Amino acid sequence: MKNLPTDHVQLAKLATQLIESAKGAGAIYVDALAISDTGDSVSVRNGSVESVEREDAQGIGLRAFVETPKGLAFATASSSDISEKGLKKLAEQVILMAKISEPDPDAVPPVGANHPTSEELDEWNRKHPGGNPGWDITQARDAALHCEDLARNYSSDISNSEGAEASFGHNRVAYASSDGFAAEYAKSSASLSVSVIAGTGENMQRDYAWHRARQVSDLHSPEVIAEEAARRAVSRLNPGSMESGHSTIIFEPRTATSMLGHLVGAINGRAVLQQRSFLTEALGENIFPDFVSIEDRPDHPDGLGNRLFDGEGTRCSGHSLIDRGQLTTFLADRYTAKRLGQAETGSAMRGLTGDIGIGPSNLIWQPGSHSQKAIMEEIGNGILITELIGFGVNGVTGDYSRGAGGFLIENGEIVRPVQGITIAGNLKEMFANIELVGSDLTWFGSSAVPSIAISNMTIAGE
Amino acid sequence: MLPAGADDGDLYIEHSSAESLALEEGRVKHVSASTHQGMGARVIKGEASGHAFTDRFETSALMQAGKSARAIAESGKNKAPVAIHNDVSAPALYQGANPSEGVDFLQRKSLLEELDALARSLDPRVKQVFANVSSSFSDIHIIRMDGCHLHDARPLVRLNVSVVVEQNGVRETGSAGGGGRFSLSRLSDGEQARQLVHEAVRLAILNLDAHKAPAGSFPVVLGPGWPGILLHEAIGHGLEGDFNRKGTSVFSDKMGKRVAAKGITVVDDGTIAERRGSMTIDDEGTTSHRTVLIEDGILTGYLLDRQNARLMGMTPTGNGRRESYAHPVLPRMTNTFMLAGKDNPDDIVASLDRGIYAVNFGGGQVDITSGKFVFTTSEAYYVENGKIQYPVKGATLIGSGHEVLQKVSMIGNDLELDPGVGTCGKGGQSVPVGVGLPTLRIDELTVGGTET
Repeated sequence: MKNLPTDHVQLAKLATQLIESAKGAGAIYVDALAISDTGDSVSVRNGSVESVEREDAQGIGLRAFVETPKGLAFATASSSDISEKGLKKLAEQVILMAKISEPDPDAVPPVGANHPTSEELDEWNRKHPGGNPGWDITQARDAALHCEDLARNYSSDISNSEGAEASFGHNRVAYASSDGFAAEYAKSSASLSVSVIAGTGENMQRDYAWHRARQVSDLHSPEVIAEEAARRAVSRLNPGSMESGHSTIIFEPRTATSMLGHLVGAINGRAVLQQRSFLTEALGENIFPDFVSIEDRPDHPDGLGNRLFDGEGTRCSGHSLIDRGQLTTFLADRYTAKRLGQAETGSAMRGLTGDIGIGPSNLIWQPGSHSQKAIMEEIGNGILITELIGFGVNGVTGDYSRGAGGFLIENGEIVRPVQGITIAGNLKEMFANIELVGSDLTWFGSSAVPSIAISNMTIAGE
Repeated sequence: MLPAGADDGDLYIEHSSAESLALEEGRVKHVSASTHQGMGARVIKGEASGHAFTDRFETSALMQAGKSARAIAESGKNKAPVAIHNDVSAPALYQGANPSEGVDFLQRKSLLEELDALARSLDPRVKQVFANVSSSFSDIHIIRMDGCHLHDARPLVRLNVSVVVEQNGVRETGSAGGGGRFSLSRLSDGEQARQLVHEAVRLAILNLDAHKAPAGSFPVVLGPGWPGILLHEAIGHGLEGDFNRKGTSVFSDKMGKRVAAKGITVVDDGTIAERRGSMTIDDEGTTSHRTVLIEDGILTGYLLDRQNARLMGMTPTGNGRRESYAHPVLPRMTNTFMLAGKDNPDDIVASLDRGIYAVNFGGGQVDITSGKFVFTTSEAYYVENGKIQYPVKGATLIGSGHEVLQKVSMIGNDLELDPGVGTCGKGGQSVPVGVGLPTLRIDELTVGGTET
């Protein structure tokens, strides 16, 4: 079996080749994706290497449209077999499936998207070169060992370790469509994480910290990561429950990111079309107080979600999602934009397998002027939420009920850890009940959020 | 090629294919397929393991993967080569054939269209119908360090229906699903598919009239079947071997001790034919087991892969699982359930003075170190004086894994297994699992509603 080479220059060519195969098999319009991922990771525990992993993955994905008497229909298929035989098989499979797929009169084939120019592509690739992020396996191991060592020795309350992990890798993605667009880009990333346990027996508490960056040189130091994990684990010791009732809560940035996730799920254009969102009728409404603004920024020095074009080859440009409280757009791929009668937002998300999804690039929640301490002083009594567990969010109604842990705040000060409680409400009301937004903007991969205080949540405890 | 110092090691060679058809807005317009093939190489020494994978079946890529994995036990010397021999001793728990065979794409498409029409005919309030039928087939070969070659071919199918209903501008949703390790034809011709539609519509309509759930500590009765997710979260994860070897689970020092009320027996059983969580052999080639985790309230067993079993001086229990060749092996659950008790289910519900009767759930999650776990209701009722009063909105229930089963006071005689919909996530890997439960009364659990 002869394999096609996957070295640097060949990936876009492979995608183009796939398009030709699909056309040969009967497709009218096609777009294709080819990816290559390589990565290494080392995990250590109690001062020794626990595991070493190496990844070497590749894949191709194809979306092919065929003409039927009732209109355009399509199917998608993917494979990790990039041999010539594999390519041919994939093309035949996808055509067979497209022929039985039900046509959609609004289907938008992959031609004539608002593609970036070749100058823009070149400039992007110069600015975002990818490649090795700056570690070899020994350096990664040493960083993990150092980080775990610092976390274990942070305090005598640290009793055990779940270990530290350092990983690094790079991937390349090529996209081509049957209108002649073909482009390729590279991404690199490195990450360091550690998780430790404080206390013993039935009074054990675990916490973690992590950071991910494009280059090792931008990564938080082992000292910073170790200190955060260990301080968090120790601070959780000896938690209690609390009385059921109503309370103001503060999501610290780590838990506030979940609110961005709920917003993005609800303004996903496809969910809106299908009435699966509690914000289906909310376009143009003030769903947040006027001091809340959230934007989608596809090129930010701190964001890991940077992209020049989306999963349909549409050029991405920054746009506002929430402008001084008002919902300004739904997120849309080309199909959804057409159905909703709104502008494209460059939000098509493409994996190898399955249909196009919809999602933002980098999301930034504009920070306010209060430090977290100032927020606590301002609200007086409430709960600082540092942990959320479970999936109790109904996207259709916005009903919200999740397990939570954190710290009780009285008279503006943290008084003790709480655990085993739930916080509940409805997302629409929670958005409207945001009282304060912190100045402590923190990045987590491709989202940046500050602390957020929300009033009138229902707490269930004892 | 194995280094002389290795305690264990294997090659895992996999070819998987999956197909999925999805209907939305009345059209089956999402049709997709995927094929994955590759090899994972693993070398284990003491507490350490090396794992590498490639999906390029080229000599250089395979050799590089092997080299990366063996670095963990590098000593310069190799083990003597061994002869490869086949081991076919495990009795097959399902048919080793592609489950989509005999049910072509058009038949699957017609099925989804029929379900869509059925849902819309059941109630005019049904506004949206989503239906999805998927099937996969994984062919795996495991070659162990001792030359033992094991093979498994695993079918898996699933059918899901969800609907959005609307009444006076208020929308709600309901969903139902089912599946297992059997031919798609069983889902596509049977009454089972139509039952799922009835169930999804019933749940959605029921939730239109749901009141706010209460907030606070209440006695809770769990219905039979899928509410067994309680065991998965509260108990199962905490008994996985890796956490207990490392002492990071709240159950780490509780072997032989009481962790549940008398009368409670919990098993993890990967040997039930055609269940979603079953495997003829696990992903290390160990024949599937039925492991008693809790017997009459006493902790008796852990879930073990080969590495953790060796390090703990115990026997592997057939729970070494990996999502694919591209993932490392972890000890995981299969089908986890509680054996039936003696109580009549109606009496258990009638025993509630003021509490919650929870019949169906969405997902759950656990922190195995603190023992705190949650699971969220999707069908639940408020009960007063032993009588069901009204349905309540979805609420998260939270408790402590090492305490919750000690608060059980009644166990139903009606054990049911779930319909075949469970997927468990751990360490970034997803694997299919099953759960089961008889009707159960828990005297105290925190209910995360909004009504105070």
